[in-house]
Amino acid sequence: MPIKKSPWLLHYDASSCNGCDIEVLACLTPLYDVERFGIINTGNPKHADILLITGSINEQNRPVVRNLYHQMPDPKVVVAVGICATSGGIFADCYNVIGGVDKLLPVDVYVFGCAARPESIIDGVVKALDCLQEKQDKRRQVIAKIKDVQVEQATIADAQEILEVQKLSYRSEAEIYNDYSLAPLIQTYQELMDDFKKQIFLKITVEGQIIGSVRGYESEGTCYISRLFTHPSFHNFGLGSKLINAIEQTFPKSKKFEVFTWHQSKRNIYFYQTNGYKTTKTVKVSDQISNVYLEKPGQDAAHYL
Amino acid sequence: MKTFLIVLIYLVFAPLVGGLLYGLDRIITARMQSRVGPPVWQSFFDFSKLLQKENLVVRRSQNLYIFFYLVFIIFTGTLFFTGGDILLVIFAFTLAGIFFVLGGYKTSSPYAFVGAERELIQIMSYEPMIIFTAIGIYMITRSFYIRDIVAYSKPLIYVLPGIFLGFVCILPLKFRKSPFDLSTSHHGHQEIVKGITTEFSGPALAMLELAHWYETVFLLGFVYLFFSHHILTAIAVALLVYFFVILVDNTFARVKWQVLIKSLWLVAIIFGLGNIIVLSLLKK
Repeated sequence: MPIKKSPWLLHYDASSCNGCDIEVLACLTPLYDVERFGIINTGNPKHADILLITGSINEQNRPVVRNLYHQMPDPKVVVAVGICATSGGIFADCYNVIGGVDKLLPVDVYVFGCAARPESIIDGVVKALDCLQEKQDKRRQVIAKIKDVQVEQATIADAQEILEVQKLSYRSEAEIYNDYSLAPLIQTYQELMDDFKKQIFLKITVEGQIIGSVRGYESEGTCYISRLFTHPSFHNFGLGSKLINAIEQTFPKSKKFEVFTWHQSKRNIYFYQTNGYKTTKTVKVSDQISNVYLEKPGQDAAHYL
Repeated sequence: MKTFLIVLIYLVFAPLVGGLLYGLDRIITARMQSRVGPPVWQSFFDFSKLLQKENLVVRRSQNLYIFFYLVFIIFTGTLFFTGGDILLVIFAFTLAGIFFVLGGYKTSSPYAFVGAERELIQIMSYEPMIIFTAIGIYMITRSFYIRDIVAYSKPLIYVLPGIFLGFVCILPLKFRKSPFDLSTSHHGHQEIVKGITTEFSGPALAMLELAHWYETVFLLGFVYLFFSHHILTAIAVALLVYFFVILVDNTFARVKWQVLIKSLWLVAIIFGLGNIIVLSLLKK
């Protein structure tokens, strides 16, 4: 059955004057009755399919909106209701207002009006249903192909996309340490280009979109592997293992492979351990963070031991 | 062979009937609020959508508890409809409820915590009435087996009216409806987000829905027992009781947990225990 038959809605008032909010609630009343379309106003991001935002994004609610969006399970769509949510409206010039919702999240449907009329809100939501269905179909195709994806060597043309996915992927790490200035998150394009000069980059592509990457280089018989990440929407598909196997095969002559992660990233440590790595040392790099180094002997290691 | 057939029919048709009843519930509720309401198949659309969604978890083990909740609800219904021991049915039913509570605790969400605690209070408040129901039925039929109870010649409702009323009083709680929908905050009430189900999404939530459908059919089966001398009457009464629960849902606001315990224990003592005492006095 099509997913668009049952859209559950989460309504968030960013910094609206309440005009649009009242109209959103009016949609639930007997006159408009959006439940006809199976729409339920859930109030719980984990049950919601549609994020409906009224009002503009400001410094106070930016983390809240982002959090709500990330708590929603895929597939999901964002509807910006009212002129404030689309562009900031008359609040656009306020010192604390960042602008419309699209400054923060990918918006699928814009509903204009000040306040937006219930008819146009319903119109917008019904339009969003098609987006939802489209996203679901695409997600299905990607998941169907994901088992057969191959790891390829990345070229310098992929740098920009790799950087974007890297920043998306390391966000979960930033949340663990509450530090948004971790090296992978603040890496610039120029620094990445420098990496390209001395390291080999591998990537996983599905439907023309990069969803995982790793890089590594060899120095004095040791292969240093770093920045292994997969797109947050594609965890638990075995992409990580594919990447680490591929990078090990890229450097077949290495005596040992070395990786490092941070001390509280238990999932990462567990991942490396299941792939045959053993913890060697922990080095404190700042008050909050220590690097945990893991090693694995290379395939030719038997010769040297 | 016959038992096997019954189990098969139950496994296939109980969710269909339960889902359909839930769809009807939403239409009737909408009509009571002078709205049009969703299509009658809406609960199946919701179910299929939930299966297609991403499975977000706080801890992976949380879904295991929900799986066992579903398994034990199905086990309860299977035992009931194959004519098993009513005490075992009640214990399996309680165990299912406990797994649901554990699942809520496992998610470590403050909302789910409040929900889980409220659910425990709910279990505490309906349990006496269910036990009195089993005892009352035993006093009349001299058997704990559902097949003997169904085969009993005289209608149970004539001798157990108090117990029947008491049982109907706890139904809104089990159907998660006002005035007793404390633990899940069903419908528009969102003061603890979605209570115990807050952190369950996608397929896990679908399992919860499915368990809810099985539960609905099982509980209406319990109502059926009181009128089992005449099949059509029994089914009509079961549906009427379901309508009554919807009506109550739309009429009453939610109560606080203190009122919940007091009122349901009072109901259990007056209707449940009262009925049993009257019966034992009359027997002498």
